[in-house]
Amino acid sequence: MYPLKNTRQRIAQYQADLIEQLNAIEVDAHWFRRVFHTFAASFLVYYLIPDVGWVGTVKIVVPIGIVVCIAIVDYRRIRGELNHQRFFGLRSYEKGRPASYLYFGTGLLLLLLLFPQQIAIPCILCASFTDPVIGESRYYLGRKRAYLIGFLVSLFLFLLTWYRADWWVILTISLVGTTGVVVGEAQKLWFIDDDFMIQILPAILLLLVWQGTLFMGVNILPAPLILPIEW
Amino acid sequence: MNNANPQKEAIQKLLLRLELWFAPILIVVPLVISLFLIWDWFARGFSVGISRYDGELLLALLILFGNITIDIPFLRSIRTLRKRG
Repeated sequence: MYPLKNTRQRIAQYQADLIEQLNAIEVDAHWFRRVFHTFAASFLVYYLIPDVGWVGTVKIVVPIGIVVCIAIVDYRRIRGELNHQRFFGLRSYEKGRPASYLYFGTGLLLLLLLFPQQIAIPCILCASFTDPVIGESRYYLGRKRAYLIGFLVSLFLFLLTWYRADWWVILTISLVGTTGVVVGEAQKLWFIDDDFMIQILPAILLLLVWQGTLFMGVNILPAPLILPIEW
Repeated sequence: MNNANPQKEAIQKLLLRLELWFAPILIVVPLVISLFLIWDWFARGFSVGISRYDGELLLALLILFGNITIDIPFLRSIRTLRKRG
């Protein structure tokens, strides 16, 4: 009797999940999710804020505070204190685990606070633009072509943001970073969202390359792209 | 499916409401920031002949065109949802 009951429960659960997916959240919110991604490129304005005095402190405290608030809300959602359906744009598999926006925010926070902007900027841009491009291309062209297009878009973003470096540095950094982006996006892990991996994996790879070349006495980092406004 | 339809309608309405609330922010903020970066490039760099601000122009154009490209289908989807609502 138990296996049958278990099977019935599974079918019922499957039907409930299917209805939830059919109820348009997954279908209609997808452009909203894409716009949220491209919107994230606006956070590059962070680098215009000067590091001096109280502004420098605010520059660190406010982003941490925002991510902590998001984490608290998401914790309450996972515990069931807040209705999952009210968080629109969420996918059904995010019901029992931290939502992708929390992963995105955490990745962004780590990049802004811990990495030099020369590394952080292309990674943020890839999370903002490559991710939606891959997502859309996958619908029409299939997985392989979507990742190929994603690779080319990321390559373009890395080449553009490192244009001030020497040619061999641009080439190395672009290939390493782009590989990190595509692997971060393609590797689906249930406990870490690709919105986190697409930012952090290339950043860690570039950090290793940078530190490796520093160890050999060469600093490959070009001049920063964004200079803080004078305070 | 009879039970699903009212639920579906409720979700559609919630979806539309939230999208309409967020749409101005999601569309206007990147445009304002990219225009600010262009202005900053012009004021601190181009007008005084300093090329180290050129990166800001590049990023501004990237943010501007990247966002516009996605904003158009997003606005279309809102319009479709509105018609359905």
